[in-house]
Amino acid sequence: MVKERTRLKRFTPVHRLWHLGLILIFMTLSVTGIAWMYFETPWGRGLANLFGGYLNVLEIHRIAGLIMMAGFTLHILYMIYRIDWKGFPGSLLGPDTLVFQWVDVKGFFAHLGWIFGLNKLPRFDRWSWWEKFDYWAVWWGLIIVGITGLMLYNPVLTSDYMPGWMLNVALWVHRIEAVLAMGHIFTIHFTVEHWRPSSFPFNAAMFDGTIALEEARHEHPEWVARLDKNGRLNEALVSPPPVPLRILYFLFGYSIIFLGLFLLVFAIANAALLTLF
Amino acid sequence: MSISRKIICLLGMLFVVLPAFGLATESPNEMAGTGYFRDQDTQPGVLEFYRQLPGGENGLWGMGPKRKVIRRSSFNKDAHNGVADFSPEVRCQKCHIPQTKDLHGLRMGITCVQCHRSQPVAGVYHYYSALNPIRRHAYVCAKCHDGATPSFASYMVHEPNPVASETRSTFPLFYYAVWVMLILAVGVFVFFLPYTALWWIREFIVKLKGRSNHG
Repeated sequence: MVKERTRLKRFTPVHRLWHLGLILIFMTLSVTGIAWMYFETPWGRGLANLFGGYLNVLEIHRIAGLIMMAGFTLHILYMIYRIDWKGFPGSLLGPDTLVFQWVDVKGFFAHLGWIFGLNKLPRFDRWSWWEKFDYWAVWWGLIIVGITGLMLYNPVLTSDYMPGWMLNVALWVHRIEAVLAMGHIFTIHFTVEHWRPSSFPFNAAMFDGTIALEEARHEHPEWVARLDKNGRLNEALVSPPPVPLRILYFLFGYSIIFLGLFLLVFAIANAALLTLF
Repeated sequence: MSISRKIICLLGMLFVVLPAFGLATESPNEMAGTGYFRDQDTQPGVLEFYRQLPGGENGLWGMGPKRKVIRRSSFNKDAHNGVADFSPEVRCQKCHIPQTKDLHGLRMGITCVQCHRSQPVAGVYHYYSALNPIRRHAYVCAKCHDGATPSFASYMVHEPNPVASETRSTFPLFYYAVWVMLILAVGVFVFFLPYTALWWIREFIVKLKGRSNHG
């Protein structure tokens, strides 16, 4: 039986692999980081004990952090490689790049207006403003959390290059950015990508790399129209991934979601037990 | 000199000269502080000397911690000398509550006397004190942190509340950095949480009405 080609290619294998790697590393860092942050509470000590105590938790956190920074570096190299340097800097603009443009400002206000029922849903192109925001939020997060994380990696070495009290600053900046990143992923990112009525219960686009053509016509109509106009729509169509793979994506996605919710709920429940200053 | 030569020279400086600097000299923070007590530590005005140490008030545009109030007792052999109600039996926490709320104590279970040493507790600027800034790194920090330097020892173990208004003058960088991060984090949630909730409700309404009459 030939399956109908009802889905549109949206992410390349490299994008999917990097997103998967980011999930695994981010969750490792979240669990170990929260275990250390909540180490004075029974819950935090319990989390740390799963890894064999605080020394191991910190070591895993450090190694995972280095892997994350290595992944970030590779991503930057990939990005430099992918930029169309012949058309630079004009090539940075246009509907296929993730660079914020005037159209995103308009898209934001039109989307806000749609939420309040003032106008029709804006016709987004390949990337909507919140998808661009999600992408660049990782950049700003990794830069802040990465620099402070490297400072805290070896505090004695760091204090050879700057006053030791910079570690006071680094730890707090690291902490707040980490809480911001986890809070954003475990509430806003999960809701927008998986729990909106139009995506519920699970949006596998970043896992299987495709989006249903119907959904694309609804969420990214300008993109579909552009592909159609350029005659590239047909080659971008693929058939749905096999059922076992879809089940795997769903189970993997929801185990990560539940892990995130577990951390979120218990972190909030235990927050009152933390001594911050 | 042609442009290409200039570029080669610059690259040469980057790859040859800069690493050589790194190898040849220790950082000033590493060199300062012998760990031993020196003649000047017994002289009047020694505080000015401590202020010059790495991590003192002059580093990074004066954005670091400033010792605004230094008690006379910090120079005493017995810091508790003359304190009413003091007795060696009283627990430190009775008076020094803020000093018990930091990572060393809470997470690692370090007790006061592991750094401040036993009775009589010397003032941190007393010239024989283990916590005197000229030897703190070697006599106290290095017990756990191998290779601790005077700069490292300027880490504030008893850090102030970063969001309190006093901290703006006592540790400006700490105050500003934490406030900027808090505003960023709270700003993201204040904007996105209601936005996402409203968005969800809007889509739910659309779903109820059916997709056909959707814009």
